[in-house]
Amino acid sequence: MHDRLDHHRMNEDALLAAALHALPASPPGADAWPALAARIRRRQAVRKTIGFVLPAALAAGIALAFAWPHVRFHAPAPVRVARTNDSATGHVAASITKLQASSRQWQAWVGDLDRNGAPLDDQQLARAVSLQDQIGMVDLQISASRDTATLSELWQQRVALLQQLGLLHLQPYMVAEQAKPGHAPTIAM
Amino acid sequence: MRFWCILEDVDTQGTFRQTVEPALVRRLQRGELAAFETIYRRFERAAWTLALRLTGRADVAQEVLQDAMLKAFERARQFRGDAPFAAWLRKLVVNEALMQLRHDRLHVIELFDDTHADDDAPAPWAHADSATLDRALNRLPDAARAVLWLYHVEGYTHLEIAEQFGRSTSFSKSQLARATKRLRELLAPQAEDTPCTIGSTTTA
Repeated sequence: MHDRLDHHRMNEDALLAAALHALPASPPGADAWPALAARIRRRQAVRKTIGFVLPAALAAGIALAFAWPHVRFHAPAPVRVARTNDSATGHVAASITKLQASSRQWQAWVGDLDRNGAPLDDQQLARAVSLQDQIGMVDLQISASRDTATLSELWQQRVALLQQLGLLHLQPYMVAEQAKPGHAPTIAM
Repeated sequence: MRFWCILEDVDTQGTFRQTVEPALVRRLQRGELAAFETIYRRFERAAWTLALRLTGRADVAQEVLQDAMLKAFERARQFRGDAPFAAWLRKLVVNEALMQLRHDRLHVIELFDDTHADDDAPAPWAHADSATLDRALNRLPDAARAVLWLYHVEGYTHLEIAEQFGRSTSFSKSQLARATKRLRELLAPQAEDTPCTIGSTTTA
């Protein structure tokens, strides 16, 4: 009885496989090649730009790795600095202007990579979303803060987060570089 | 990988059963867009069909086709030639399609109403025409349809399917059994007259 049922099921599987195989291949609606070719050319242009920017970004990332704990945990007490030393406050205000300019540059670059760069995998995407959330939180704090020292620290954090986001977008290219001849391939087939 | 050797047909147009000349692959690996266009044209239909079968949606399939082909171009250097190029390309399409399903959170495990299923009844797909089978396939839940297609058409084993979904082989087997059962219901003569009874409990 069991043998008969097993045989019956195997036969059914084969029939189902044959029926699914026989389904005609669907033609895609429109010719997608022009859009794909344009996308490839855009990305090649971005990659050329990255060829110049990558070393600087890596250096910034390494510097950030060393500086980050100091920036985060040993920032000066904001109120005391703001009230007791006017020249220091002016200096902080000037550094905020620089940080804002740097933030704009990084944001533009990250935006460009986001639009035209290599797609991120699941983990990278989750990390990117988390970084964007953190940037959003920093933005909220910036909009609520009046103290220059606090603002300076927040703008530093914003630039640092944008740098991390930029480096994240560069990871697919680093993987691709490693896969070039002379490096161990990452996908084996 | 399981292969349905008896199903190998002569017409390989629109399928992944095509050979790509090594010289063409080498040109692609050098980044020649013209070589890639030749390969794209050859596999566009197969990749599109596979993406459509796995995702069940034309707009998502279009995205999968674009992203998978883009990866094929950018990762061509990673192809070592141990397996046919078409198999490598097909794997990229499958990966991309399943990734889209994960991103869109469409791969929920739907519960089925099993009360009307009858495994001993004659297989209705043996007599169903393509259009009817196509419609029934599109009415299956995403995960079930993808597992059914990977197993029966692409020749994946349960272990390989489980790895693709990041789940156990039990998941693959149960999805396949449920998909088969549901397909049988949908293709049964009275199925057209009764409303779909699929539940939508999300456990993933």
